[in-house]
Amino acid sequence: MSGFPGISGLFLNEGLLIRQSSKGVYGIGIPDCGLKDSELKKTPADYINKKFVRKNAPGLPEVSEPTVVRHFTRLSSWNMCIDSAFYPLGSCTMKYNPKVNELVGSFGNIRDLHPLTPVRFVQPALKIIYDFNLILCCLTGLNEFSFSPQAGAAGEFTGLKVIKRYFDIKGEKRDIILIPDSAHGTNPASSALAGFTPLEIKTGANGYIEAKEVEKYISKNVAAVMITNPNTLGIFEKDIKKISEIMHKNGSLVYMDGANFNAFIGNVRVSEMGIDLIQLNLHKTFSTPHGGGGPGSGAVGVKGFLSDYLPVPYVSFNNGNYDLSEDKQYTIGRIAPFLCNFGVIIKAYAYILSLGNDNISSVSEIAILNANYIKKKLGEILCGADPFKDKLCMHECVFTDKAIEEEGISTLELAKLLIDYGFHPPTVYFPKNIHGAIMIEPTETESVKTLDEFLNAIYKIMFKTKKSAALKSPRKTKVRRVNEVLANKYPVFKY
Amino acid sequence: MPNFRYFPNSETDIKRLYAILNIRDKKELFKKIIGDIPLIDANNLKVLSRGMDEVSLCRYFSDISSNLPDKNKFSIFAGGGIYNHFVPAAVDSLISRPEFYTPYTPYQPEVSQGTLFALFEFQSMVAEILGMDVVNASMYDGAESLAEAILMSLRLYLNANPDSRSPWQEQQVKNNCPGGEINPHSSHLILASAGVNPHYLSVVRTFVNDIKANVETVKLNEKTGRTNLNDLKLKLKNGVSAVVIQQPNYYGVIEDIDELEPVIHGFNPKPFFIVSSTEPFSFGVINPPGYYNADIFAGEGNSFGNHMNFGGPLLGIFGAKSVYVRQMPGRIVGKTKDAKNKDAYTFILATREQHIRRGAATSNICTNNSLNAVRAAIYLSLCSKRGFKELSFLNLKLAHILHEKLLKTGLFEERFSGDFFNEFLLRIKNEKITVLRFIDVMADRGILAGIRVAENEILISTTENNNIDNIERYVENAKDILGSNLI
Repeated sequence: MSGFPGISGLFLNEGLLIRQSSKGVYGIGIPDCGLKDSELKKTPADYINKKFVRKNAPGLPEVSEPTVVRHFTRLSSWNMCIDSAFYPLGSCTMKYNPKVNELVGSFGNIRDLHPLTPVRFVQPALKIIYDFNLILCCLTGLNEFSFSPQAGAAGEFTGLKVIKRYFDIKGEKRDIILIPDSAHGTNPASSALAGFTPLEIKTGANGYIEAKEVEKYISKNVAAVMITNPNTLGIFEKDIKKISEIMHKNGSLVYMDGANFNAFIGNVRVSEMGIDLIQLNLHKTFSTPHGGGGPGSGAVGVKGFLSDYLPVPYVSFNNGNYDLSEDKQYTIGRIAPFLCNFGVIIKAYAYILSLGNDNISSVSEIAILNANYIKKKLGEILCGADPFKDKLCMHECVFTDKAIEEEGISTLELAKLLIDYGFHPPTVYFPKNIHGAIMIEPTETESVKTLDEFLNAIYKIMFKTKKSAALKSPRKTKVRRVNEVLANKYPVFKY
Repeated sequence: MPNFRYFPNSETDIKRLYAILNIRDKKELFKKIIGDIPLIDANNLKVLSRGMDEVSLCRYFSDISSNLPDKNKFSIFAGGGIYNHFVPAAVDSLISRPEFYTPYTPYQPEVSQGTLFALFEFQSMVAEILGMDVVNASMYDGAESLAEAILMSLRLYLNANPDSRSPWQEQQVKNNCPGGEINPHSSHLILASAGVNPHYLSVVRTFVNDIKANVETVKLNEKTGRTNLNDLKLKLKNGVSAVVIQQPNYYGVIEDIDELEPVIHGFNPKPFFIVSSTEPFSFGVINPPGYYNADIFAGEGNSFGNHMNFGGPLLGIFGAKSVYVRQMPGRIVGKTKDAKNKDAYTFILATREQHIRRGAATSNICTNNSLNAVRAAIYLSLCSKRGFKELSFLNLKLAHILHEKLLKTGLFEERFSGDFFNEFLLRIKNEKITVLRFIDVMADRGILAGIRVAENEILISTTENNNIDNIERYVENAKDILGSNLI
């Protein structure tokens, strides 16, 4: 495997901190806060009724700061991450997370700002939200964004609640949300959570939902279609305008899951496709780090006629002053305890300011070029595995397991083998309508050189790998293949 | 195409890509994919300025930062669901490792052991603090966590009481749907103490109002500020699926759960007992929810090593008794073995989740607040057993010192007599000065005095970030403002 990033290395072993405890040791400085000796000597029962006082301190580890620092530093070395490796997870948009965004997000006065500080003192923070709204409106063609939702699924839920409330106010009872079979699992889950019944529609042979298919499901019971565009096959929903027309004619709405907005940013406004609502995953398209599973931000944008349904509070601007307002007539209510995931949004805002109007359109352009390069080149290696061979994809592409299966390798084994070559695996076995799906999203922050290395690794796996190696992979990681059956059969969730 | 610092492909690379794909330019590329849908005209992006270099960007955000209250001079005595705790340098340093903050959700356990291991330790330590069996790998924030806890209790209640289901509900239960529409003719109710954070209750209402479950509040005892036992007894009836108590409550008062729990669990059919908290730091000194036989805990963990971030991202904590684990929302990390029989960690019980169960998942949550949970794991490790207890007690002490000094001025009076942890409610006696005005003037003097709860009632809290000096400063300024009638 010479020439690939994956070589064997030295992993430092590390056990649970609780097993490293020494009685009485701790790793934090306790300030004396200027307390008098008499106060220092008191016990909790001197202040509160002793029946409330906890008798046994919680069983935390007993370790010093150096022990903690070494522990977590070692743990961190067991992770693969976007900074260390190509991370082509489809529909996850694992692009580079600029360092300067982390820096500005960590400025003390910003990071340690209390959300209930009187608005007079937080004008610059409110201005960021206000201005960012204008930028997102400009990029999407929609009229107002709410920053309350904490992540993509929360954005979906918020959008669906808006739809629910819209029909309630109109006095129409509509229960159904149409969702393509290639949709992310959060779509039907969010629909159910918002009190709707999700109904699955089938993707056509060309990889997109055909307008005539949608027509089959139309009834006065349909509240909206919830469509990911481009979809999780990386294919543009070609009939989207027709579908929007059908929906609008039926009095229904069009919700777009904007998880894949990286394919459009700076070049296409979703308003041109008849979209009424969208959620943008700022931790995907807008470069904020995914954090090993969050935090994110799922800002929801709507057309003007839905503005009054958005969550509160929101940032308003009157007579030169920014304010936190709650005066939305039909608001669905609160989604979060405070205004928004400000710590995430400020990084996304820094990203957009860095790009500016001169670079922003290159993001989707290069992302699409990179994905099509992979699609074309990998199509040559994995013969017959590209379900949409003669079509261009958008920001990602998907392959079946047909070609690898012929070589005796499963999708799972391909994923695990790639790890040993020094690459994070693509998204696998999703979407579910593609057999043994391998879904690759390179993003615009990878070079052709990296893509070539990745393609070369798959070539080697296809034609130079012994079947026995596939079963035993990965071999260079901190742990070998993890036993998930055991994990679920006898669940252990704490030490 | 201009060079931009985050794009590794050169102009030649881009040209080569176009050539390989046999496409002329961007216009043709998009035309072939999206057809007639118009492209954005660059002149029509005026709301954006030209791209900023790093020097300009840093200057831009430095200006913003310097126009916000100076964190080193502004003393914060406001809580209300988010508390100004000190974050040790080791936490910020470790969490700045890209290996922690730049991976995706750990779907490939072999290359994600670091995050999974840290989350396992997070779950374990928080479970110890709460005295709960199982804690998940995080929710968004305390409010959403509580809303999910209520949905979970509804599912459990419908499972336990099949008679109370409508035919439609029967179907929902079969499909294991999140809420299940509540039969409007039966009275499914959630009782929440009036001591629960009002913003939490708003979020809960947003979650449940489309499944026609109602939230009714249980009054507080006007004198003690604790949940009124008689009102609870009065409102407990058939169809109450959950009772929510916040500990300490929104007004800082420590609830006497010993008194409440037997009443809740003694009722038939049995409601689920949910404990919430915005300040689980209190459980270093006071009895935790598990001690009181709570079925579910749902609250905020931001106090554990996280910055306030102007209100987000926060850290939702969710815990339950292990018998209910299969109805829990969110990711759970479990310990297992690898192919060589060594310890390894992975997500478990994923059949509850949206990526497997889709419309029938226990929740729609996918991306959660994992990095904040890792922060908490690092912070709680640093605190260790002794530090956690001592810091918790220090918070309690400082609040009591401030409380006593303010009462001694004669300008405030105690609103509730109940014991408190690090937050309390006072009434300003001077009727000429509203709380808002008081907060405003104090803020001009570099002190965030608290939160307005009513026209003349202020909620005040303190953490270890305050000391005797700024407590004195608070008292002196309060005397000056409230005693002078100058305003």
